[in-house]
Amino acid sequence: MSATTIDRPVAEKTPLTFGGVVRGEWVKLRSVRSSGLTVLGAALMMLVTGLVFASTVGSDSDGADGVTDPTGITLSGVMFAQLVTGVLGVLVVSNEYATGMIRSTLTAVPSRLPVLLGKVAVVVGTLFPTMLAVSFTVFLAGQAVMGGAKLPTAAVGDPGVLAALVGSAATMTGVAVIGVALGALLRSTAGAISTLVVLVFLLPGLGGLLLPASWRDDALKYLPSSASEAFTSVVPAPGLLGPSAGAAVFAAWVVVPLLLAAVLLRRRDA
Amino acid sequence: MIEVENLTKRYGPKTAVDGLSFTVRPGVVTGFLGPNGAGKSTTLRLLVGLDAPTSGGTKVNGKPYRRHRAPLREIGVLLEARAVHPGRSARDHLLAVGATHGIGAKRVDEVLDVVGLTEVARRRVGKFSLGMGQRLGIGVALLGDPRAVVLDEPVNGLDPDGIKWIRHLLRDLAAEGRTVFVSSHLMSEMALTADHLVVVGRGKLVADVPVADLIASTRRGVRVRTPRTSDLVAVLQGDGVEITSLGGGVVDVIGLSTEDIGTRALVAGIPLFELTPQRASLEEAYTELTRDAVEYRGTSERVAA
Ligand SMILES: Nc1ncnc2c1ncn2[C@@H]1O[C@H](COP(=O)(O)OP(=O)(O)OP(=O)(O)O)[C@@H](O)[C@H]1O
Ligand SMILES: [Mg+2]
Repeated sequence: MSATTIDRPVAEKTPLTFGGVVRGEWVKLRSVRSSGLTVLGAALMMLVTGLVFASTVGSDSDGADGVTDPTGITLSGVMFAQLVTGVLGVLVVSNEYATGMIRSTLTAVPSRLPVLLGKVAVVVGTLFPTMLAVSFTVFLAGQAVMGGAKLPTAAVGDPGVLAALVGSAATMTGVAVIGVALGALLRSTAGAISTLVVLVFLLPGLGGLLLPASWRDDALKYLPSSASEAFTSVVPAPGLLGPSAGAAVFAAWVVVPLLLAAVLLRRRDA
Repeated sequence: MIEVENLTKRYGPKTAVDGLSFTVRPGVVTGFLGPNGAGKSTTLRLLVGLDAPTSGGTKVNGKPYRRHRAPLREIGVLLEARAVHPGRSARDHLLAVGATHGIGAKRVDEVLDVVGLTEVARRRVGKFSLGMGQRLGIGVALLGDPRAVVLDEPVNGLDPDGIKWIRHLLRDLAAEGRTVFVSSHLMSEMALTADHLVVVGRGKLVADVPVADLIASTRRGVRVRTPRTSDLVAVLQGDGVEITSLGGGVVDVIGLSTEDIGTRALVAGIPLFELTPQRASLEEAYTELTRDAVEYRGTSERVAA
């Protein structure tokens, strides 16, 4: 231990800024192992699922006639990958509560809201470009696999394909933002991840089993996974919302929890 | 400058801080003293807005903490509870906190050097010892080169060298004109470091005094027993001498040494049956101050009381 004191005042007395908060959140994101692992996990989930589906489709009795939506087949990994990106979103907040880091964070940024927005910014900024690139990769690779098997294929220029690719990246990113909100609302990794799994994964199935048939389909199409299907499908399944309605409903699933999280973050003791 | 005004914080039925008011001035080291559970850590959390007060408020350099444009440059805090992700390196932790205020690698490396963590800067904090963690926390407090530094139990887990280092650091920070506010539940530690004391018990202010005054008020006395109390009082009386009669031929004398008292009694031919220096330490003065304010007393003490 050399000096016992602060040498001299630092030259520039720069203030607290939103850009600074975003940079701080970026340093935090890149400096823990779980971030890289979850992004890698989501990418692998997309690639493996898409390629497995692409190479097994058409091998059943229907043959080439069974392939009505070659785009959807290669993007089928979204279903699982969105859970992994959701976990990343949860961890970005719940990790801070689990370790006490949140106290350092909120002491540096006492107005608090920039922290939540900063976390959303780095999660979106990391996941959207990455998952977009992954979506394109698995789409192109999957079409090549199916083309090699003499099955119908799609091209990026075909109607609805670009929207499906961008929409898939947006879905996985959006679920991550829902994860951020749940992490901030529940402050617990286990609680937030369970809630997320129930919401995007179990509820569609459970609802199908438990809700009365008369209004089951009307209710289920408003769930986040059905809403995102409505704007990521080239050949939509029956009973979904229209693409713009689906996008609006999905956006509400992202924005409403985030607003609630913002209000509670301001109100509660850290 | 730190101002605490009528501060109250309740957690459910529990009142942790109860109408507390005091001011911490720049240029001196102020100790924040009180038994376990007295509300010290709570007061410090309220100061930087981690918890919201039930009523009353606090100001740092004239404004509520959250109103400052660069909070970390106004006040740097080390909190009692851990506030670091164990998977991150010390350097990344400082970079992440500093980035919010545009504080970059240069200052971070400077601070790592000041707190003696340069060698382990890139190691995961989870592998740090208690003392190294404490040094990192102090590093965070110093990061913004703040006008006020607040440390909650900073000597926790530090070895004697580390404790000495903290003492010097605090004195230097105060000498630079900064406000320095340090909590502890050990009077002995504060007696060596602090110039001024804010003492709390059960969330209430117990004392707000210069250390010198407290020392003066607890000067060691001498207990004297003699059959001729009034004669003895007559020969001992004088400036700065305080004599208390306890009855039964016993008096307590403050302001004279045993040698003085013995010699004067001999000269006047007064027999002495007892001449005992009283060991009233600063520690005892503190115990006395907080006697009614101790929240968690050991059972043995309760039996004795
Ligand atoms: N978040 C909380 N919820 C409920 N009670 C709390 C909370 N924080 C503190 N308390 C209670 O408030 C009182 C004051 O606690 P505080 O930690 O401020 O004391 P302290 O003076 O720092 O004690 P110590 O010397 O042990 O660190 C204690 O009785 C504690 O149990
Ligand atoms: Mg404490």
